[in-house]
Amino acid sequence: MSALPWMQHLIVVPVLLPLLVGALLIPVAQNRHGFKFAASAVSGVLLWLLSLALLGMADGGHWPDGIGVYLASNWAAPFGIALMVDRLSALMLVLTSTIALAALVFGARRWDRVGVHFHSLFQFLLMGLNGAFLTNDLFNLFVFFEVMLAASYGLVLHGYNLRRIQAGMQYVAVNLVASLLFLIGVSLIYGATGTLNIADLTLRVAALGPQDTYLLRIGASVLALAFLTKGAMWPLGFWLPTTYAAASPPVAAMLVLMTKVGVYALLRVWLAVFGDAAGELEGFGLAALSVGGMATLLFGAVGMLASQDGGRMAGYGAIISSGTLLAVLGHSGSAVLASGLYYLIGSTLAMAAFMLLIELTERIRPPGAALLAITMEAFAIEDKPEDPVGVGIPGTLAFLGLSFVACALVISGMPPLSGFVAKFSLFHALLAMPGRVPPATWLLIALMLLAGLAAIIALMRLGVRTFWASGAVTPPRLQISEVLPVGGLVALCVALTLQAGAVFDYLSRTVDGLARSGSYTERVLGEPPVMRPAGGEVAR
Amino acid sequence: MLLAALVLVPFLGSLLAAVMPADARNRESWLAIAVAAGGLLMAGSLYPDVAAGQVLREELAWLPAQGLYFVLRVDGLAWVFTMLVLAIGLLVVVYARYYMSPADPVPRFFAFLLAFMGSMLGVVLSGNLVQLVVFWELTSLTSFLLIGYWHHRADARRGARMAFTVTATGGLCLLAGVLVLGNIVGSYDLDVVLAAGERVRADELYLPALVLIALGALTKSAQFPFHFWLPHAMAAPTPVSSYLHSATMVKAGVFLLVRLWPALAGTPEWTWIIGGAGVCTLMIGAFIAIFQHDLKGLLAYSTISHLGLITTLIGIGTPLAIVAAIFHILNHATFKASLFMAAGIIDHETGTRDMRVLGGLRHALPVTATLAIVASAAMAGVPLLNGFLSKEMFFAETLLVGGDTNWWMSYAALAMGVFGVAYSLRFISIFFGAPSEALPRAPHEPPRWMRSPVELLVLTCLVVGVLPGLSIEPILHVAAVATLGPAMPEYDLAVWHGFNIPLLMSTLALAGGVLLYGLLRRYLQLKERDTVPLVHRLNGAQIYENTMLRLTRGAGWLLKHLGTLRLQPQLLLLMLALLGVPLLLAGAPPAWSDSPRQGFDPLFTAIWVIGGGCAIAAAWVAKYHRLAALALVGGTGVVTAATFLWLSAPDLALTQLMVETVTTVLLLLGLRWLPPRIKAGAGQPAPGRLAWLRRSRDLLVATAGGLAMAALTYAVLVHPASDTIADFFLQNALTGGGGSNVVNVLLVDFRSFDTLGEITVLAIVALTVYALLRRFRPAPESVAIPAQQRHDVDPASAQTPAEQAGSGYLLVAGIYLRLLLPFMGVVAVYFFMRGHNLPGGGFVAGLIFSVAILVQYMLAGTVWVESHLQLRPHRWLGFGLVLACATGLGAWLFGHPFLTTHTAHVDWPLVGELHLPSAFVFDLGVFVVVVGTTMLMLVALAHQSLRAHRLPGDEAARAAPPVSGRRTL
Repeated sequence: MSALPWMQHLIVVPVLLPLLVGALLIPVAQNRHGFKFAASAVSGVLLWLLSLALLGMADGGHWPDGIGVYLASNWAAPFGIALMVDRLSALMLVLTSTIALAALVFGARRWDRVGVHFHSLFQFLLMGLNGAFLTNDLFNLFVFFEVMLAASYGLVLHGYNLRRIQAGMQYVAVNLVASLLFLIGVSLIYGATGTLNIADLTLRVAALGPQDTYLLRIGASVLALAFLTKGAMWPLGFWLPTTYAAASPPVAAMLVLMTKVGVYALLRVWLAVFGDAAGELEGFGLAALSVGGMATLLFGAVGMLASQDGGRMAGYGAIISSGTLLAVLGHSGSAVLASGLYYLIGSTLAMAAFMLLIELTERIRPPGAALLAITMEAFAIEDKPEDPVGVGIPGTLAFLGLSFVACALVISGMPPLSGFVAKFSLFHALLAMPGRVPPATWLLIALMLLAGLAAIIALMRLGVRTFWASGAVTPPRLQISEVLPVGGLVALCVALTLQAGAVFDYLSRTVDGLARSGSYTERVLGEPPVMRPAGGEVAR
Repeated sequence: MLLAALVLVPFLGSLLAAVMPADARNRESWLAIAVAAGGLLMAGSLYPDVAAGQVLREELAWLPAQGLYFVLRVDGLAWVFTMLVLAIGLLVVVYARYYMSPADPVPRFFAFLLAFMGSMLGVVLSGNLVQLVVFWELTSLTSFLLIGYWHHRADARRGARMAFTVTATGGLCLLAGVLVLGNIVGSYDLDVVLAAGERVRADELYLPALVLIALGALTKSAQFPFHFWLPHAMAAPTPVSSYLHSATMVKAGVFLLVRLWPALAGTPEWTWIIGGAGVCTLMIGAFIAIFQHDLKGLLAYSTISHLGLITTLIGIGTPLAIVAAIFHILNHATFKASLFMAAGIIDHETGTRDMRVLGGLRHALPVTATLAIVASAAMAGVPLLNGFLSKEMFFAETLLVGGDTNWWMSYAALAMGVFGVAYSLRFISIFFGAPSEALPRAPHEPPRWMRSPVELLVLTCLVVGVLPGLSIEPILHVAAVATLGPAMPEYDLAVWHGFNIPLLMSTLALAGGVLLYGLLRRYLQLKERDTVPLVHRLNGAQIYENTMLRLTRGAGWLLKHLGTLRLQPQLLLLMLALLGVPLLLAGAPPAWSDSPRQGFDPLFTAIWVIGGGCAIAAAWVAKYHRLAALALVGGTGVVTAATFLWLSAPDLALTQLMVETVTTVLLLLGLRWLPPRIKAGAGQPAPGRLAWLRRSRDLLVATAGGLAMAALTYAVLVHPASDTIADFFLQNALTGGGGSNVVNVLLVDFRSFDTLGEITVLAIVALTVYALLRRFRPAPESVAIPAQQRHDVDPASAQTPAEQAGSGYLLVAGIYLRLLLPFMGVVAVYFFMRGHNLPGGGFVAGLIFSVAILVQYMLAGTVWVESHLQLRPHRWLGFGLVLACATGLGAWLFGHPFLTTHTAHVDWPLVGELHLPSAFVFDLGVFVVVVGTTMLMLVALAHQSLRAHRLPGDEAARAAPPVSGRRTL
């Protein structure tokens, strides 16, 4: 091969485009909001189209085995950095760009101007996220985690007030320590195996000596701790609700995605390194993951019940969703992966929509009065009997109410939206495993149901207080740029439910691809660098 | 497609209803009537097939991989329920047209009502258990929304929340039960499950499945002890109470039990759980109903009691009992719906539902009164009305299973009959006596169409009661056959069976009821009592509220103990996890073989002792002497640099040294603005035992962490290296990367993609620091000049910082460093140029250049530097990133991947042939970003001093020197 087909370059564009746009926006004067938003939005739309294109290429047979490999700097893996797109990473890219687009549009009216450099930081965040999903190299993963985290530090503090500073301090401190763990973990894995490329790790793991194996175990568990801190596993995720509640809505929507990056990274590394080619190391640490996940699930449910404001509730919702994923993955590995991924997509979309929605609902009325109404309700204190004539609900409130109900249903996993489909398919997958169903599985199912119950009770309380107990409401003024993202994300949740069959088909192809570690290593390590034209003036 | 249309059309109607204008009461009603009537026609057309015993199925693949098909299935039972839902629905929407006030926003009402109709049809027609759960929860949801229709009223909100919490929780139990059942059978398909009854009952998971499904059914059908939500649901508009909370939704629970009868019934557990709950409910409901003052409250408790009767019949579980149960479901729906509607008319006309106020209504409302009295008689089980027939069957069944052992069942049935007659009398008492004076409104007969649904229903009661064989028998037969199949019993629906014990019981119940009512009125002041005798402590609603409150409080308590909001415990946990988890997962280390040792060097050891000492000392003083701690950390950094040098890594040493310098200086600049330490004084208690313990714990954890890391590092260092990718880099740096400095080639060629990411991180951090400090004002207490600079002897202490730099003691040093600036620039260029082959490179050069600027700021002051040197760090950042990126993109022109290095060979005059690798340009981007980053942070910090001095009372900064001789950098 003497020149790379241009379509191959598309793999690296999700990293480069936001980098360039973000960099070009740095020197632009702060008051040119329109221009900044336009540039950012163009990048967002392009990324969305691009991620869809990559999904189509990965799924449409453009590459053998549905795996596209891009050798940055033209050095073959494992020596250079290999980027890889398969169905899983393409899916994550689509999810990222979708939520990013919604968050961008939502922020266009107000949030992007409460501080400086919102759009640059936002683009860098996208670069980090996309890079983390695309890379196939542990150290490069660290780099993109850092890009993502650094940008998220800036964004969490964006438009700072006392609350954001306090929350941001926690977020930054905890994540810096987690990054340190990441680095220690990567170094230990490199020390044990002598490589950083994940595909190369797959090949080397089975042949390691006892000392190297030991180092690998330690390194992998330290690395997992780093991922799990970002994925907010109990007891490492206490920073999450505080941060979510404090961050500005578009940023909070992106944060929802970021907890999923931890889960994704864990999944990616574990499937490759401790998969079926790992010999005695196969499934290393999964039992602990399952226990941790269940504890997280329980913690999230407790937190959900104890919270009063929407932001924290959303935070605990994210913890529940992380806990569910971790517990299920730890419990049965790749057997339930397709359902787990479906759950991940649905809950991420709904949580992001919920994050944007909360801010809109808070405009309805100051919360104090509603709280009083709730208390009176609970103690059956009747004030004067009121007329049995209904109160009209203006269009904006109806929109907010319906979106709220939809989000609540998905987050709590109640029928009929995607949350239920996801939970049911998880249950089904857990129960369909061969052999008698062990008590741990029943425990897990019970926990998931209980967490859903806690979520629906808490969310109903919040919804009743917001929409019903707020008395004679003045409908909040909503901008079209605020309605569109929320409505779009909710509509996606509905579409995900209706098209569950098609989505599951895609996901099962994804899981099949992940299970074939042979073709994966072959594709990544076998990708040839582009040859130099003979006798050219280019010298190495 | 017919079945799908049956379920879908109400939902479509709901959507249509939702978008109509708020005052379109007539259009909404016509739409709802059309939907219900159309549904009736469609369902009616299925009768021939269903009557022939066929099971019609429609399937749609939804999630085939999970065994989840969208299956609609109609057999006799489903068909009868479908007709019930649609027929009552039709009557209710006609009624609601007149019931709802013109001011009520009806789109919401009809939208939810139609959505409920669709969900209920979905429950009834589901051929897949999971799908049934979906529709089941949808009925809970729509019920919640309908109860809360008048959401400005606290009782509506309370009732809605209670109903939803209870039924949705039950729904989750049902889901769990269905999963267990599906696991036993291996399918969620209803036909398969129904055919596998033997296997289900023999399975060890039978009991959990039964309990869970029973929980779902009992909560939905308001059975004891979950009955309390139903009376509170009466806050809903009356059409809703009539439709959802008497005729249809609450029947979903008993419907499910009948539906699953072939699979689950026939065991002692079934009888005890279902029958037990039913008996308790029928007694308690009937008893409490007598003591209600609210018309709808009475009807609600009566509904509970009748549902208990049905549940008891199902619990008895004999085929004949099932027939009676289905029969009573139909009968109850007709008379109770009509009673609710009558109560609504009374409420509508008089403005109150309080039976203590109401009286003598037969004068003002003669027709309504007649209808309500007939319906009440049906409820009481008076002969020639439909209620009598099914109640008779109930008595017969309790007698049959009763015998000697379960005699209490017959007595309970009889008691329930007596109570039923009593509360029916209580209900009709409002029509008799003298007309009440205290009514809020003067009553009139309602509009004709508002009354017509009641008329139709009461007529049905009569027809069924008089001519059961001709009217209801064929329909009942269809439903019963579908459920019972071959077990179909012989039975005879007739008014007269001759003198037998059930007839005796009916007579006793009638007589006893009249007697009881009379006694209660005389001795228990029935009309004035506020509490129910005997069971008034059994307030389910209050227990529910208390439970919810406790749940929230308990969760709060748990949250406080399971989590934390503070940062320090989180970091401690992270450290503990770092220590514990790897140890737990990896276990004990294997035998460790060392590689051959290098010799021991005392000098190297001494350097390390110093470094270690610095680190420990830094930790020791970190809390109270920040400056000292920072200096000590710097010392550790220098030792690290020295170590790199010692171990032949000059490039790393150089970089480490520069990084240490720049970060230490920047941190020192930031330190200036931190608030001073709070002195331990009179106000502060001395650290107690607890603090001592805490500190000891922290020390222990820190020591353990440090030792563990040291041990780990040692283990990695001494264990023989495997074949690493590092060898490849060493071999290929010169031949492939064109440079003999492997570190630099790694950074700008092999792994330049990493470098691109890292410089982006730098830029992001700089932007964040800038964004944070841009508007930041230092705390007032740290604005003052520090004590060290305020010594009386020092003449400089009288000067402002600007004067110190301009004409004071900093002048000489400042001028020297000004002269040094170009030289340092040259040094930076030198290190940059030689980077590819010798220690150096863009990163180091950028740091050197930054130091040059830094010292200018420090000595000459912000004002002076910025008036002579226009720094545009934002442009540096943007330009550097774009340059690095564009260099990488250049490779695309040659058909190579991003960041592939190309070398141009240029013949320069005088200089000769030059190799100009593209990596060089990339490195230039790195250089620019590093300089931009440092400058931006520096500027952000430096401007603090400007803002600080602009505080009132300090005019120094305003007297800044005039801007002249700007140079743009």
